[in-house]
Amino acid sequence: MTAVAGARRGRRRSAASAGADRAARPGAVWILPAVLFFGVFAGVPLLLTAVLSFTDWNGLGTPNFNGVANWRHALTDSAIWESMRISLVFMVLCWVVQTPLALLIGVWAAGRELNRAVLSSIFFLPLLMSTAAIAITWRVLLDPNFGLAATVGPWIGFPDGNIAGDQHGALGAVVVVIAWQFVPFHSLMYQSATRQIPKMLYDAALIDGAGRFQQFWHITLPQLRNTIITSSVLMLVGSLTYFETILIVTNGGPGTATMVLPQRMYNSAFQSFQMGYASVIALVLAALGTALSLVIVRFSGYGKMRSTLEGI
Amino acid sequence: MGDSPLSRRTFLSAAGAAGIAGLTAPLLSACGTSGPSGGGGGGKKTLQAWVLQDDGQNPIQQASLDDFNKSSSTKIKLVEIPNSGSSGYTDKLRIGMGSPNPPDLLFNWGTGSIQDYAASGRLVDLTSQLNSDPTWKSAWIPSVLDAGKAADGKYYGIPMRGMQPVLLFYNKTLFAQHGQKPPATYDDLLKLVTYFDSQKIQPFALGHVDAWPNLMWLEYLVERLGGPSVFADILAGKPNAWSNPIVLDALHRIQDLVDRRAFGTNFASVNYVNDGAGLLFAKGKAAMHLMGTWEYSNQVDKHPDFAKNDLAFAPFPTITGGKGDPNNVVGNPTNYYSISRKSKDVNAAISFLKKEMSSQMYIDKLIKAGDVPAATGLEARLAASPGPEFAKYVYQMVQKAPSFTLSWDQALPSRFTDPLHNNLQKVFLKKMTPEKFTQVLGQVK
Amino acid sequence: MTALREETSVPVADHRRGDRPRRKRQRPNWGAGLAALAWLVFVGVPIYLMIKDSFQPKDAYLDGGPLSLPRKLTLDNFAEVFRSGYTRYLINTAVVTVASVALTVLLAFPAAYAIVRSRSRIVSGTFRIFLAGLAVPAQATIIPVYLMISRMHLYDSLTAIILPTVAFGLPLSVLVLSSALRDVPRELYEAMTIDGGGSFRLMWSLALPLSRASLTTISVYSALNAWNGFLFPLILTQSPEQRVQTLGLWNFQNQFGANVPGLMAAVLLSAIPVFVVYLFARRWLIAGLAGAGGK
Repeated sequence: MTAVAGARRGRRRSAASAGADRAARPGAVWILPAVLFFGVFAGVPLLLTAVLSFTDWNGLGTPNFNGVANWRHALTDSAIWESMRISLVFMVLCWVVQTPLALLIGVWAAGRELNRAVLSSIFFLPLLMSTAAIAITWRVLLDPNFGLAATVGPWIGFPDGNIAGDQHGALGAVVVVIAWQFVPFHSLMYQSATRQIPKMLYDAALIDGAGRFQQFWHITLPQLRNTIITSSVLMLVGSLTYFETILIVTNGGPGTATMVLPQRMYNSAFQSFQMGYASVIALVLAALGTALSLVIVRFSGYGKMRSTLEGI
Repeated sequence: MGDSPLSRRTFLSAAGAAGIAGLTAPLLSACGTSGPSGGGGGGKKTLQAWVLQDDGQNPIQQASLDDFNKSSSTKIKLVEIPNSGSSGYTDKLRIGMGSPNPPDLLFNWGTGSIQDYAASGRLVDLTSQLNSDPTWKSAWIPSVLDAGKAADGKYYGIPMRGMQPVLLFYNKTLFAQHGQKPPATYDDLLKLVTYFDSQKIQPFALGHVDAWPNLMWLEYLVERLGGPSVFADILAGKPNAWSNPIVLDALHRIQDLVDRRAFGTNFASVNYVNDGAGLLFAKGKAAMHLMGTWEYSNQVDKHPDFAKNDLAFAPFPTITGGKGDPNNVVGNPTNYYSISRKSKDVNAAISFLKKEMSSQMYIDKLIKAGDVPAATGLEARLAASPGPEFAKYVYQMVQKAPSFTLSWDQALPSRFTDPLHNNLQKVFLKKMTPEKFTQVLGQVK
Repeated sequence: MTALREETSVPVADHRRGDRPRRKRQRPNWGAGLAALAWLVFVGVPIYLMIKDSFQPKDAYLDGGPLSLPRKLTLDNFAEVFRSGYTRYLINTAVVTVASVALTVLLAFPAAYAIVRSRSRIVSGTFRIFLAGLAVPAQATIIPVYLMISRMHLYDSLTAIILPTVAFGLPLSVLVLSSALRDVPRELYEAMTIDGGGSFRLMWSLALPLSRASLTTISVYSALNAWNGFLFPLILTQSPEQRVQTLGLWNFQNQFGANVPGLMAAVLLSAIPVFVVYLFARRWLIAGLAGAGGK
């Protein structure tokens, strides 16, 4: 996003003084290594995924073209639609739960009081743990007989601790784990953005007699708009692709209650060995991710900056 | 659908669109080629033997390799691969077998689990080796050796572990305290469920999360109700084989058991692989556990006191009016080692299997660990087992079983695994009706 | 956007020192304090349990229940984790992390420099490729990536993890760096050119030192990506010799089964290297993280 903001600025500047520039300019060769690298290990695979989606291949031997059979199958396969629905619900839940929490914690942690500094250093501790470590810890906590779920379950409506085994409980549990892992990160973004809000805005509000809530609503929130957009893009696109958390915590279960698209793809590819069909799911996933970030960028007014880029 | 083989040229033109054709050329060049590759010239070779990670078993497999490596210039290394839920050994094996350097020796479940590899010419056909060496062939219980054949009727695997029929394990101390006996009939089983439930003891431990433990219930119920032909029809892909009334009956009985809290109420959060169900059982929180014989060595390894004092076993009860022979069993006949044709030293791998798999040392170690090897003439030697009674029981059970049905998820082609596991889980959770289950499975193609 | 702000925020930092007395005039915010305490419990309890369990004998864990206070303490769990080869996994992860960061910087910096400074059409065209690459999830390409890695005979090597990990981190890194480079005043380039500097020298002695903050950001970002990597190692490596810490943990989960204290010891150990880095380079790490979010 900064790139975008910066791009606009850079563009203007160079447009204003074009021609008066005598400094050495690097040629296209400079960008080549990065482009080749990205092309080979990310671009080509994406193209091959598209090719594979028109084949029948079990991971051994040679793929056979089978036309649009995989795509036709996907249209009628209720399992895919179910996973799509779960992915979308999961995505929305992740955003709805994390955004207010991260925003409030970030703004709160931006204060310079000692107690806030101490508490926020604890709040940021989950940042030190890897996704796998966090998921494994929570899986242990969610054991209905010997884990924390046995103790806490009855307080929140699961008398037998069967949180991860309940259709809604499992999805909720995964959202909680994701929030535990990522709210600290988003809080950090909000914290550093809040600290950059010019102090004089608040001073002026104080003179006008604005209360704490009004300050938050009329100054902090509008000033954080760009951060909210950035954080939302990261959350939404990220929640489409969280794979290992679900794999470790619920393994898509109970039944298929948490079988999000990435896991459905993984299972098709590496359990049923239907690589062609899995490629269809992979492309759907890629398309959803791209569409999502494009939509957000458009609606947030970032689209203009994107088009500015084209002239660089 | 007119399938045309995806030629290298077509693939390259796709890659060429990205302008990087040169870099992707090696990408598919090895596609479809198989057969032994040259290997390193002259120097010492090291082969890999891939096995399922198992703390009880791996040291024994290591011992056999150590013994072989002592006198061989080609060394074999053990690679232990964990298995968890839907991602584990079978995935890794497929990825490895598809790579240019596949494992030389691979642990497998025979039949369906090696079907794709055998059909694509990736495994060494051991038929002639076995036929030309009658002593070697006769070292194995014929039904178990035969169960490892692929669909083409050839031998690709040599038994390398104990036999693994599914048994009804129960906590005999708990049963004695409550004056109960293991169930002889399905009605007995239902009575026990009601009784233990009323005593606030979970009747059966179930590692629902890992999906395959659920399948054992379906397999045994179908076997007792309809005999082996029901699943044989499914395996043969006969039309309407899934919607057989026997399968429906079995699924309804499963939901009835769930309603009776036979598996407690929170089974949907309990796993087997991470010792969730085994622990419930060992701690006396569950009275019975339907599981493969490996549960015995598992308990010996993880909860030795329980294994010594409380663990007992019985066959799956009969069902009144059912067509299945009460002596029939389901489960895994055993595990096999197969050899990859791309191995750097196929001959060394074969001599390893010949020398070690039926050796006295290896078989005795398996017995000591609680396994019941698939070798012939073990009656006397089974006394060395930590549970001699158990070992002899299993040994006879397999030998006198008229039919041994391989676990469905191992027998069926891999495209069935995911739908079978997921939808059966839904039946247990009562999120899917038995009718819908048979309909969905019938549509897998 | 933070990357950009970092460099322009010097005056903000200055008047920040004046914050303290003025803030104190406001009443303390009790409601927020209570909410913060609730969040503390939510964040703290799992961490407390993880640490407590890792020092407990196995039986004490099973019999005590999750919230009980520890009675017996032991280091056996850690010894068991080390016996299972965990050091190897940590070293592998460190290699992957360092190599990924180095390769990312090496590739992304000249690219970003060219994007900002070059007038070539090719450069502006390829820049758009990177923009499009931002939203491609790595999962979507895992099958061909596996295919390519195995055909390149790199299957089951650390290189196999590093290559795609770096590739998927490149778009964001290039964007963050180029936005920082745009803020280097053009006059500086011209001044240095008069002194007789070529493109390489301009990059090395002008652009590089001036974009330190963004380099920090992309280093932290790519380091975390590499450290957290799960899917690529899962599919592209196999043997214990090439295992990274995330897979090591996953493996322990299967191997240790109900031995929760052993498992928690492994989890705790996996966080310690990051914690040490955090202690020595706290400001650096936090700034980097905040920047990574800002893309």
